[in-house]
Amino acid sequence: MRKPLNVGRIAAWASLIVLMLVTLFPFYWMLRTALSDNTQLPGHPSSLLPVDTTLGAFKRVLGLSTVAEAQAQGGSGASVDFWLYLRNSLIVATVTTVCQVFFSAMAAYAFARLRWRGRDQVFALFLSALMVPPIFTLLPNFVLIKNLGLLNSFAGIILPTAFMTPFAIFFLRQFFLGISRELEEAAMIDGAGHRRIFFGLIIPMSAAPIATLGILTYINSWNDYMWPLLVGQQENVRVLTVALGVFRSQTPQGGPDWAGLMAGTLVAALPMIILFLAFAKRITNSIGFSGIK
Amino acid sequence: MTATIKAPPNRRRTHGDPKAPPKARSRGDLKVAMIFLAPATLGFVVFYIWPTLRGAYLSFTEYSLLASPNFNGLANYERMVQDSFFWNALVVTVEYVVINIGVQTVLAVGIAMLMYRLTQSITVRAVVLLPYLVANVVVALVWYWMLDFQVGIVNQFLTWVGIDPVAFFGESAYAIPTIAGINVWRHMGYTALLVFAGLQTIPKYVYEAAEVDGSTEWKTFWRITLPLLRPVLVMVLVVTMIGSFQIFDTVAVTTQGGPINASRVIYYYIYERAFTRFDFGYASAMALVLFAILALVSLLQLRLLRAKESDLA
Amino acid sequence: MTISRRSLLKAGLAGLAASTVAGCNNGAASRGDGEVIYWLWDSAQLPMYTECANLFHEQNPQYSVKIEQYGWNDYWSKLVTGFISDTAPDVFTGHSSKYPLFADKGLVLPIDDYVAKDNVDLSIYQKGLADRWIGADGKRYGLPKDWDTEVYFYNSALTDAAGISAEQLNSMTWNPQDGGTFEKIVQRLTVDSKGRRGDQPGFDKDNVKVYGLGYADAGGGDGQTSWSWYAATNGWKYSEGEPWGTKFFYGDPKFTETIGWWRSLITKGYMPTYAQAKSGVDVTTSFGAGKYGMTPNGSWMLGTYAGLKQVKTKLARLPIGPIGKRMSMMNGLADTIWAGTTRREASWAWVKFLGSQTAQDIVAKAGVVFPAVAASMPAAKAAFAKSGWDVTPFLEPVEAGDVFPYPANPNAADVTAVMTPAMDAVMSFEAEPSSLIKANNDVNKILSASD
Repeated sequence: MRKPLNVGRIAAWASLIVLMLVTLFPFYWMLRTALSDNTQLPGHPSSLLPVDTTLGAFKRVLGLSTVAEAQAQGGSGASVDFWLYLRNSLIVATVTTVCQVFFSAMAAYAFARLRWRGRDQVFALFLSALMVPPIFTLLPNFVLIKNLGLLNSFAGIILPTAFMTPFAIFFLRQFFLGISRELEEAAMIDGAGHRRIFFGLIIPMSAAPIATLGILTYINSWNDYMWPLLVGQQENVRVLTVALGVFRSQTPQGGPDWAGLMAGTLVAALPMIILFLAFAKRITNSIGFSGIK
Repeated sequence: MTATIKAPPNRRRTHGDPKAPPKARSRGDLKVAMIFLAPATLGFVVFYIWPTLRGAYLSFTEYSLLASPNFNGLANYERMVQDSFFWNALVVTVEYVVINIGVQTVLAVGIAMLMYRLTQSITVRAVVLLPYLVANVVVALVWYWMLDFQVGIVNQFLTWVGIDPVAFFGESAYAIPTIAGINVWRHMGYTALLVFAGLQTIPKYVYEAAEVDGSTEWKTFWRITLPLLRPVLVMVLVVTMIGSFQIFDTVAVTTQGGPINASRVIYYYIYERAFTRFDFGYASAMALVLFAILALVSLLQLRLLRAKESDLA
Repeated sequence: MTISRRSLLKAGLAGLAASTVAGCNNGAASRGDGEVIYWLWDSAQLPMYTECANLFHEQNPQYSVKIEQYGWNDYWSKLVTGFISDTAPDVFTGHSSKYPLFADKGLVLPIDDYVAKDNVDLSIYQKGLADRWIGADGKRYGLPKDWDTEVYFYNSALTDAAGISAEQLNSMTWNPQDGGTFEKIVQRLTVDSKGRRGDQPGFDKDNVKVYGLGYADAGGGDGQTSWSWYAATNGWKYSEGEPWGTKFFYGDPKFTETIGWWRSLITKGYMPTYAQAKSGVDVTTSFGAGKYGMTPNGSWMLGTYAGLKQVKTKLARLPIGPIGKRMSMMNGLADTIWAGTTRREASWAWVKFLGSQTAQDIVAKAGVVFPAVAASMPAAKAAFAKSGWDVTPFLEPVEAGDVFPYPANPNAADVTAVMTPAMDAVMSFEAEPSSLIKANNDVNKILSASD
């Protein structure tokens, strides 16, 4: 199947390589900054290698350095319990993703594969939630969570995004629409109910889009900052992004702890890179599967 | 050309058409649908509908957030018409959306095609998604650091190749393109992945047929890929454009609306009104107008892109 | 395949249910009657406040303090959310630009009765400081904890190279016509790409390598670290009846001529263009890279400048202006009590403790900020000297009483919203200084409308 190299393919490869470089360079720069001594950074703007190479920033992120050490390196005076925050992030992102994708898939099934009066109107209404400005939802949702007594709990962090997001429903509906009706009808003739069609046919056939959506949901949930900052500040539920907020500017005119911020960003992204690599195989595998349509 | 790529007869109507004539079990689905929709509806009503209705009500009040709201009719909307900051914010936001979505969509489709037709490498896919793994506030900070006029690496590069350093965030004309560029960097891989997922749903035989026909890669893209990609592309466009209109974090971290008002995008202005100036009623009114604009734009997009229905039929 | 997915989903649902239950427990966990929640934003001060809290608990076993720290932006968002949802901290650090509005809306507790009841001696604080926390309504809303003024931070290697002595730097004069000896020094400190100084023939103002003067921004409505002392020594005041003025004077010729002179430094090439200044991470980073001869800044930035290891930084007094003396803005922070707290006594005890010399000595010896209690100042001075700073230039205006307050106003955010773009436009030469007359009218219109 290997195609011969021609001008078009060379150009395509070249543009792919350029895109990869543009994508990767900032990550190199983050790594370079993370390995530098924060106090030396401004003096060496053009050094392509780390300035005064040190693991100090990573130690600060992982909570391995004392407050005094951290402050001497231009870090903050707050202590960091990295593994606890990592655990919390994993719980929040996992539960959010599983619930949201599952419930959204159910809804998408109703919108894509079932026939009922008013379906498209209801779908449009759900879709309109995409456009709701977050300033409308932030405060009322916070007050609701508080009244439910769920402040500083995982449930409080997870609930607003556990049942659906308009994007997830929209995304899955579009893919469910593309599934052949013949298979569904064949299954019905075999006496399968909607539950079996949904679990046995629709979900397996949409493995690739579901995996894609799952990854995106996971990333979004992992990176969410404002909401967990508001509802989950206590140590036992504090997620990684909120904890790493101490590496941002603390005072109105102060600069962030650049080295610490970059180290924290890289460390926080690592679990997701692993997750993605694990799932990426899955996506490729499912290509052959969806070919049967 | 289209005739040759027609699907085999038994595969006609592979796309479940929502408007297809009801078949045997048409009416009975409502009950099942209600069960399938129940959890999502709960979340939708509690966390979206109710807050939105409340926000809509507040847009007709004077509400400082710190004291209870007072109904003031259409006063907020009257103010909006005369508020030059509001109109400026709309113009700035549209400029941002056009640059952001334009560049991002073209690049994303390009990357998706490269991932689909050129290499199936998982590494490439992982690399492309990398920027999206970083929270947008951090992405903004990283680029702010890299684009610094005096000590940013990008300006060091420019100096090395003999170009004068550029004040990316300080020059009115560059602020919005710079911010748009940063978000293209973060989102192009993500968008490409969505498009890529769509590409995977295009049956292989269509391409095989095209190849047998001797269609060039370029022609295949325009005549087969793009039309078949339409349902997914519509979704991607609608979703990314709505997100783009709500640009906020990058501005808050970098320019804070400046220089002067060059990057005071609508959502930043709304936020400023609501939470730093405690003018929540007015902010709600603007948010509602933004909501209406978004709804209109999305509707228009869905209509326009559905106009030339020509999928696999 | 299907089975494993289904069980995965079941596990997920079980997880959610479990965490909901766990969540209820956490949410219901109530805190003791004597526990005060205290917020601050500066993480650098977290260690010493923790020490204060421990000592406080030792002295008052019935009370304890839980400290929470959030970065500046998050701090205010969370605080406002807290006010709305009854989850605000009992005691929190207040800022002059924010507390007037909170006081106006009845969100912070007046402490006059407590001060009277406990006979708190307000004369222990630096002169004038305690009164900054008397609101427009005449009530007292906090006890001061620290204060700040401004000076020039200069790169001593660059001043040495320019042959400018510390004496010259500390005896600068300024006027809005020719900039006085201050402008001469800035001019001399400026170096173009060919190594020619600003006062040497052939100086190329379009290719400057080191600017004599750096600046962070156009200053908005307060100009705290950018233009406030020039304007003040030119005989200008922010408003009628400072600090609670309702009529501002941004259109006053004394102000516009000050700004006109200030931005002329850009034209002359001694100061970066506005676009360049704003296209940077912050002014200290560029200073740390040796791009600026000197930068004005506030005392709270001492730690940041100390962290710039590539440059040797020293402090210089502000210049003497047309009114014949130096003037600096004096601002500061105070601890304030949330009006909705259910722990008033405990909160007051903590505020009183933080305002006492015992606590301020702890703060002072950390050498991060200047303590509000005058008697704690020697300890702070010694701590700063240990990290290489002679902080006298910050102290002098305070001792001489030549200070002016931050323009406090319940509508400060509205003033800023008008003045920031207006000042930006002037500094980027898109508008003339005379355009500030219109901006000033807009400000006064907002203030009169909100009365």
